[in-house]
Amino acid sequence: MDFRLGKKELALKEEIRKFAEAELPPDLVRNTVIDGEFRDFEFEISMSRKLAQRGWLVMSWPEKYGGCGASLLEQTIYEMEIAYWGIPGAWMGISGIQWVGPCLMMFGTEEQREKYLPLIASGEKDGVWCTGYSEPNAGSDFANIKTRAVRDGDDYIINGQKVWTSAAHRARWCWLATRTNLNAAKKHQGISIFIVDMKSPGVTVNPILNYYGRHHFNEMFFDNVRVPASNLVGEENKGWYYLMQSLAFERRSIAPTTYGSLKWILEELAKYAGQTEYEGQPLSQNPVIRAKLADLAIDLEVLKMFAFQLAWRISQGQIPVYESSRNKIMGDDLMRQGAITGAEILGIYSQVDPDSEWAKLNGAIQGAYLGFPGQAIAAGTAEIEKSIIAQFRLGLPKSY
Amino acid sequence: MDFSFTEEQDMLRISARDFLAKECPKAKVREMAKDERGYDPQMWHSMAELGWMGLIFPEEYGGMGASFMDLVILMEEMGKNILPGPFFSTIALCALPLLEYGSSEQKTKFLPQIAEGEAIWTFALAESSGRYKASEVKLRAVLKGANYVLQGYKLFVTDAHVADYILVVGRTGEGKRPEDGITLFMVDARGPNVKMEVIPTIGGDRQFKVSFDRVAVPKDNILGKVGNGWDVLDFILQRAAVLKCAEMSGACQAVLDMTSSYARERIQFDRPIGSFQAIQHKLADMLIDVEAVQYLLYQAAWGISVGSPSPWQISAAKAKANEAYQRICIEAIAAHGAIGYTMDHDIGLYYRRVKAAQFVAGDTDLHREVIAIGLGL
Repeated sequence: MDFRLGKKELALKEEIRKFAEAELPPDLVRNTVIDGEFRDFEFEISMSRKLAQRGWLVMSWPEKYGGCGASLLEQTIYEMEIAYWGIPGAWMGISGIQWVGPCLMMFGTEEQREKYLPLIASGEKDGVWCTGYSEPNAGSDFANIKTRAVRDGDDYIINGQKVWTSAAHRARWCWLATRTNLNAAKKHQGISIFIVDMKSPGVTVNPILNYYGRHHFNEMFFDNVRVPASNLVGEENKGWYYLMQSLAFERRSIAPTTYGSLKWILEELAKYAGQTEYEGQPLSQNPVIRAKLADLAIDLEVLKMFAFQLAWRISQGQIPVYESSRNKIMGDDLMRQGAITGAEILGIYSQVDPDSEWAKLNGAIQGAYLGFPGQAIAAGTAEIEKSIIAQFRLGLPKSY
Repeated sequence: MDFSFTEEQDMLRISARDFLAKECPKAKVREMAKDERGYDPQMWHSMAELGWMGLIFPEEYGGMGASFMDLVILMEEMGKNILPGPFFSTIALCALPLLEYGSSEQKTKFLPQIAEGEAIWTFALAESSGRYKASEVKLRAVLKGANYVLQGYKLFVTDAHVADYILVVGRTGEGKRPEDGITLFMVDARGPNVKMEVIPTIGGDRQFKVSFDRVAVPKDNILGKVGNGWDVLDFILQRAAVLKCAEMSGACQAVLDMTSSYARERIQFDRPIGSFQAIQHKLADMLIDVEAVQYLLYQAAWGISVGSPSPWQISAAKAKANEAYQRICIEAIAAHGAIGYTMDHDIGLYYRRVKAAQFVAGDTDLHREVIAIGLGL
């Protein structure tokens, strides 16, 4: 065993710190957990471009697709640091960078890779993707999707409805899960993935505001949308396998990003507690607060180890079975713990709107408090993740 | 970064597992809980022959020259099997500080005996409050001629009745801080005026009140420097915390394994109970706890192995293990139902040992405080 970071990784951390100090306004509101992305699209894309110029945006991709062949460990550190500094624009709607690109590299055609990967890597608006998975009757029971794709000559014709689609209102492309075989023996055997141009006739995007009135996700309608057959990803009716892989990629990224944002929150809370007087002494002397922040720090250390362990396993060429689910549960639990502990320390200020000048810690605590219930549902609820662990790691019988 | 064990480490784990499966089944654990000595001398000697006592001693002291991480692996397996007896007190609490702080005469005299399984040691720190605080060290040691004379008592001293030596924390002076003036003595456990009284505990182990009434200890039997014993204590508590974590980590894994196989086999409502999500999710939570303990343990142990121990990482590991071990046992009993509450079932063996493990080398509050200070609070 060896838990040291190498020179490369340490240098990367330092470079990101310098980048953040040079590029970010000091009063940047830290509430991406509730806002999602693209509240200020122009600013965020300008940051995406800068990250792309540095070679960071898709650093672990091969050079020919716009990456720089970095290790997954370096990417994990990059994700932690980006979240720590709260650098906007790093995710480009998440889909493209975190799973569309990696999945196309595994299952796509060379033509698809050459067309789409450099676009994502550019950090431009045309590289923004969304992901069409959930439907009104397909949430945790994802294989129940009804959106149909029917072959018609050189095209497929798509009809159906998607919900909770993050960033659809900014996306140029959609990574879409559809049903191509109604007669398959099992529901998950009739699913295919398509790349859909969001500018295609028949695509409608309507906003769904989250409970804080922020526009992060959407509903999408596909009304006789024509998609060239060359936009099918991998084989027809094999989509379920690619979807599981994409979800494992998505769940992997929860741990490093949650680690980064909570690390910043923890450090700021410690400073705040030291500077805030209560009954004649700093809050930091309160034994209850000391214990709670210590517990948060200990669990963050666990999350860090989980994140590195998963990155290490994948980098060894092993296919992780349950670790992404473990990391997602841990990350979501911690975001909740950080938000609630943080709110307790801020006391009455924890109710201040995150954008207000009254907000402490650049609104990060309120952002986390309002955001964690949503984060915990996206990409698989805790209940689904725990069932995955029970079934695939502990060998228990299927429960649904 | 590298999360893998070496081939030698994997082999060490397998050979420890095989030996303990054969020599230390749960029937042996139960038998030893009733045994007056609390351990099996024959097994003790076999362990010495395998090189376990001297695993991380250099060869010149009869050891195998292995790393601290190797010892962690061995002790995880011991924890899995609930190995009864004085291995922890002899090796973790006494032999390691002897190796680090002993004079060459002391090492030459004591370490080979330990490596051969000929000497049992234990460690005496806690007094009435049972807390690991320098201000609690009241046992007096006064210099008279060539000897220090010890007066006072110690509580919760494990395996004192079978020990040949007790490493006793005494006060030789007062300073600005309570940490000043503390000295460690190697005391002949069978010497005159050393009295022992059993403290019955819930864990099935052997713990004692040990009283020292004008016990003379030669100056040569001081470990480290007079008055600077707290430095040695810091060393002991850090190593002991990690090695106790290793035992707890093994125990957590054993409890999880036992519970998931029970959930696969136990039928209710015509199905294995492991097909119910209420049970599945409990087990998934347990798995996350188990792995949390493991990775914090390995991180802390690795730091010690490469010569840069991190008190912060050590405390994170012990605080986590303290909480997780308890939670895992409680959830495991719940998943078993009434059978888990019986004397015949093995789960109770683990649960009954939680309390002893939690207090070794610092309870959760003590370690949280180390973390809090590290956060700048």
